[in-house]
Amino acid sequence: MKMEHVWRYTLLGTLFTVMAGLIVVQLLRIQLNRAQVDKFIEQGQSYAGEWRTFYPVRGQVYDRWGNLLAGNTTVYQVGVEPANVQNPHTVALALNVVLGLDYNEVYQNITQGPTSQLVYLVLDDYVPQEKIDRLQQYAGDINGAYSLGDNQETPSLKGLAYQPHLRRNYPEKDLASNVLGYVGFDQDGDLHGLYGIEAKFDELLAGLPQRLWVPNDPNRAEELPDIPDGTSLMLTIDREIQATMENILDTSIEFNGAESGTIIVVEPKTGDILSMATSPRVDLNRYWEYEDFLTGSTPFNRAISQAYEPGSVFKILTVAAALDNDVIEPETTFVDTGVFEIGGTHIYNWNSAAWGPQDIQGCLQHSLNVCLAWIAKETGPKDFYNYMNSFGIGHMTGIDLAGELTGRLKVPGDADWYDADLGTNSFGQGVSTTPLQMAVAASAIANEGKIMAPRIVRSIIDNGHQSDIEPRVIGRPIAEETAKTLSYMLAASLEGEASTAIVEGYELAGKTGTAEIPTPYGYTSHVTNTSFVGWGPVDDPRFLVYIWFEKPTSSIWGSEVAAIVFSQVVERLVVIMKIPPDGVRQALASQ
Amino acid sequence: MDRVSSISQAYSQAPWRKQLQIIGLFLLLVVFVALIAGIYLNVTARAATLGREILMMQSQIQNLDLEIADLETRLAIANSGQEMQDRSIALGFHPVEKDEMTFIAVPGYSPRWGAVMAPAPEPVEVVSASLPADYTESLFDWLIRRAQIQFGRLEVLP
Repeated sequence: MKMEHVWRYTLLGTLFTVMAGLIVVQLLRIQLNRAQVDKFIEQGQSYAGEWRTFYPVRGQVYDRWGNLLAGNTTVYQVGVEPANVQNPHTVALALNVVLGLDYNEVYQNITQGPTSQLVYLVLDDYVPQEKIDRLQQYAGDINGAYSLGDNQETPSLKGLAYQPHLRRNYPEKDLASNVLGYVGFDQDGDLHGLYGIEAKFDELLAGLPQRLWVPNDPNRAEELPDIPDGTSLMLTIDREIQATMENILDTSIEFNGAESGTIIVVEPKTGDILSMATSPRVDLNRYWEYEDFLTGSTPFNRAISQAYEPGSVFKILTVAAALDNDVIEPETTFVDTGVFEIGGTHIYNWNSAAWGPQDIQGCLQHSLNVCLAWIAKETGPKDFYNYMNSFGIGHMTGIDLAGELTGRLKVPGDADWYDADLGTNSFGQGVSTTPLQMAVAASAIANEGKIMAPRIVRSIIDNGHQSDIEPRVIGRPIAEETAKTLSYMLAASLEGEASTAIVEGYELAGKTGTAEIPTPYGYTSHVTNTSFVGWGPVDDPRFLVYIWFEKPTSSIWGSEVAAIVFSQVVERLVVIMKIPPDGVRQALASQ
Repeated sequence: MDRVSSISQAYSQAPWRKQLQIIGLFLLLVVFVALIAGIYLNVTARAATLGREILMMQSQIQNLDLEIADLETRLAIANSGQEMQDRSIALGFHPVEKDEMTFIAVPGYSPRWGAVMAPAPEPVEVVSASLPADYTESLFDWLIRRAQIQFGRLEVLP
C-alpha cells in the first residue's frame, strides 16, 4: 500500500466510524426518551390501522305472521374532507339545494381548511338514499360538463364523503306504535330503544358491538370475526287485527267525542295479545314529533301505563270470587231496596232506583251496585281481597313491555283503607287498574279459571334459530266450574238485556262498565269513563276484548258507547280469525 | 529452488484469471441474492394483493349487510298493511263481511299457528374429537395395520 493513500483510508474510516457512532447515539437518544418513544409508537399505529367499533344489525321485529314491523334502512352521514375540496362554493350550494343546509354555514366550515385536528367534518346525518342519489347524480353531471378544468373555479363536488349506516325503520308507520316503542337518542346522546318492545328488549335487539383492530397494512389483513346480528323478535300481535282495532278505535273516539281510548284483544287460552290499540299514536319514523301530542302526563301506551277506576266491569270479579267461595249461587236472591249501608257509607244504584228481588244474573244484567256491595260484604274483606290479589289486581301483569303500572288495590291494614272501600271496590270504584290488568283478570273467567301470562313476544330468532316461548299459567284464581257458570250467566245477561254488544250467530259473554272519575272534589257524575269486557264464543273462547273510552261526550253509559264498539270489534274478529258462527261450528264439529 | 518456483509459477493462475473468478463469484452471489429478493418480492406482492382484496371484501360484506337490511325493509314497506289494502281496493276487492263467509270442513286441514322464520334450535350433540388413525399412528403401527388388512385380519370400514 502506498503511504500517500494511507491518510485517505484513515479519513474514510474515521468518517464511517463517526457516522456509525452518530447513528448509535441517535438510536439511544430515541430509545431512552420515553415520551418520544410513545409518540412514535402512536404515530406508527395510526398509520398501521385503526380501532373500529362494529355494531351488529339491530334485530327485526315481526308480527305473528312474519310481517315486518320494525326493520332497518340505510341512511348516510354526509361529511367533507377539507383537504380534498376543490370548489367550496359548489359543495355548499349542492348541500343547500339537496339537503337544505345553510349555504353560509357550510361554506364557512369548508373554507376554514384542514388542520391536524380537522381532516373530516360531519355536515349532516340520517340522509336518505334518494338524496344521496341526487347528490351523486349532480356530481356526475358536473364531472361530465367540466371534465377539462382542474382549478379552483371549476365546479366540483370533490371532497364530499358519504358514510352509510343503518337507521331504524317502521314499515307500518304508526301501527302498534304504542307496543313497539322506538329507537332514539337518550339523555346522554346515545341511541337506545325507548318505550315498548324496543326498550324492554333493547340489549337483545341491539346485539353486542365489538371493537376490533383493522390494519391498513394489507400484509396484516385478517379475517374479521363474524358479528352476529341482534336478536329478532316475533310478536303475538296480528297486523291485520291490530290495524282493524286501531281503525275502529279512532272512528269510535271521534264518533263518541272521547278524549282517548284503548282496545285490547287477547287470546285467553294462551295469553297472546293479538292487538293492543291505544290513542294517540305516533308515526315511529317521525318519533320526535310525539312530544307534540303526548303532552303532560299522557302515557305512551295507555293499555299498560294508565291506571283508572274500572267501574262496573269489575263486578264480574266480585261475583266470581263469591261464586267460587260458595257465598252465593246463581239462584241466590237479593232484594234490592235501592240502598245498602256499608262502613257508614250508603251505596246506591246507577239510577238510584230499587230493583226488588233479583238473582245474581239479574244483579249483573242490571249492573246493581247495591247487590254487588252486599255480595262483597257476604264474601268478607279477607276473602274478597285475597281473590282480587289472585286475579292480579294491584300487581303488574308481567307483560314483556316497558312502562307497566301496577294500579292500586287498597287492602285492610292499609292506612287509607276503610270498611266502606269493600262496598265501593265491589263495583270497581276506589280501586285502580290498567286496561291490561282488567283484561288479564277477566281472562280467568273466559279460560276455565286459569290466567295465562300475557305476552307480546311469541318467538325469539337468534343465530338463525327460532325459539318459541310456550304459554304458561300464572294463576288459578277460581275453579273451572265457577268460570263456566259465570261465563254463561254473563252471556245470558247480554241476551236478557238485548245488549248492543250482541253479534248474531255468536254466543258472547260480557259486561259493561261505567265509572265515575275521582277528582280532588269528589266523584264526577256527568263525566265518566266507559268500558266493556267480553269474550267468545262462550263454549270455546277464541278472543277476549277489553274496550275503554275516556270521558265520551256522546253518552256517559258503557252500554251506549263501549258495548256497540264491542259488537263492531267482534264482527271483524270473527272474519279475520275465521271463526264460524256457533251453529256452523257445532255442525262442522259433529261431522 | 529455481525448479520449485518455476513449477509453482507454471501452475499459478494468471492475475486476470483470478480477478475473473472473483468477479464471477460476486456476480453469482448477486444473481442469487436477486433471485431470492425477486421471489420474496413476488410472494410479498401477492400476499399484499390478497390482503388488499380481503380488506375490500370485508368492506363489501359490510355494505352488503346494510343493503340486505335495507332491501328487507323496502320489501316490507311495499307489502305494508295500508299499501296492500290500497292495492286491493284499487283492484276492486272489498273487506269480506261475516255473512259473506262460507265454512266447509276440510279433512286433514290444520289451521296455521304462526310464522316460522327460522328452524328451531337443534339439540346440542357432544362430538368427541377423534382423528383418523392415519394422523396419529407411527410408521410401525401403520405397517402392522397395512399388513393386517393385507392378510384379511382387519376389515376396512367403508
